[in-house]
Amino acid sequence: MIQVLFVVLFGAVAIWFAYKVFTTASMMRSALALLFSMTAVGAMFLALQAEFLGVLQIMMMASEMVVMALFMIMYMMNPGGLAAMEMTHQKRLSIAVAVVAGLLAVGAALFGGWPLATEAVAAPAGQTRELGLEIMERSMLVFETAGVTILVAMIATTALAIRRPA
Amino acid sequence: MTLVAYLLLVFVGAYVVAVVEEWSTSGRLRPTAPLLHGLALLARESLTPRRHDRNLFEAGPTLLLVAAVLALVALPLAPGLLPVELATGALWLNAALVYVAVALLMAGWGPDGAYAMVGGFRFVGQFIGYAMLIVMPVTAVAMRAESLATIAVVESQAPLWNVLAQPLGFVLFLVAAMAVCFLPPFDQPVAAAELAGGVFGEYTGVRLVVVRLGRLVLVLTLALSVTVLFLGGWLGPWLPPAVWSLLKTLAVVLVMLSVGRYLPRLRTDWALEWGWKLGIPLALVNILWVGVVLLVGPA
Repeated sequence: MIQVLFVVLFGAVAIWFAYKVFTTASMMRSALALLFSMTAVGAMFLALQAEFLGVLQIMMMASEMVVMALFMIMYMMNPGGLAAMEMTHQKRLSIAVAVVAGLLAVGAALFGGWPLATEAVAAPAGQTRELGLEIMERSMLVFETAGVTILVAMIATTALAIRRPA
Repeated sequence: MTLVAYLLLVFVGAYVVAVVEEWSTSGRLRPTAPLLHGLALLARESLTPRRHDRNLFEAGPTLLLVAAVLALVALPLAPGLLPVELATGALWLNAALVYVAVALLMAGWGPDGAYAMVGGFRFVGQFIGYAMLIVMPVTAVAMRAESLATIAVVESQAPLWNVLAQPLGFVLFLVAAMAVCFLPPFDQPVAAAELAGGVFGEYTGVRLVVVRLGRLVLVLTLALSVTVLFLGGWLGPWLPPAVWSLLKTLAVVLVMLSVGRYLPRLRTDWALEWGWKLGIPLALVNILWVGVVLLVGPA
């Protein structure tokens, strides 16, 4: 009962901050709202007893969003992001897409007929161990491919960004 | 009961850090000074900038304190003296410390002033520089402990403390810890001489008390994490375990607060460059070293 209550609470917080992302007129407020929305999702994972996933989400999203805010503001003609700025465009289309996608997600949640993923939740340390084995055994190729792809993208971006003498 | 004892020790610890900080800057040891300063600040008017963002301005210092306390509760003072026993304690420490950067970004942007804003972004730049130097030495420590739980991390150091088993990781983590607390030589974000106080320049009165308290608890948190991860936590002969933890933490606090006074301030771009071009390769060497020792060393 308490668990459900906390999942609902953090879910509501996540939705509220996600809404705020689009209703504020500032890059910084928008980025921070997105950050706290993601943090609330991480807290939902914790409430669902997925400890490793929750802590990872809380850590990764914060660092990502802080860096994103920095880069966003760095590239905009808006010193320090202090000036007001419209954060949306193509409003009608995006609202329509969001409503349709939201209904689809709610429909999938309600009528998906979700099978029970597991009988009992494993202990936190066990979860971490199982995840590690999964990454190092069955899904190794997937993770390695993704990792190398991202590395190549990073090197390519850096190579493109280096200024060469004409 | 454990929680009350722990919080009491933390409060005393933060006070001691304040006394040591005053001593390291002025050379005078005055045990009552932090109390008097705090009371004086409480009585002073708390000014607000004219067009500040209220949410971010008020939440920034609070988040700094909350992040420091959240990081702290995963660190044990003694075998039974640990508020929250997480299976992923070492990872949780990293996660909570990221919110220090979030807090400084909020506190810098909130007042709508140029100096504070520049200070906030400087800290984010610094964060990009030191973030990996927090995570990667912790990874090597977790490898040796074969667990992310902080209790297991301390117990794994019974034969040999991590400061001797992986000295490279220790040095990197200590330097990064000083950067997290924006202590000299990493105090560009709050550079008093140049940015008029930087991130926290606009905070006065009771709000400044929260800022100062957050910073003190943060220094304590990082010192205790150095103790737990590298100096064998509560391990030691004769004295009770909690006393060993506190003594080691005090020694780390002394080092963190005094070493920087003898070094020139590090420019943000240099901190970034050294962090990535020197720090990360060294951290990778450290992980490789620990891995090799684990594989070929005595079981």
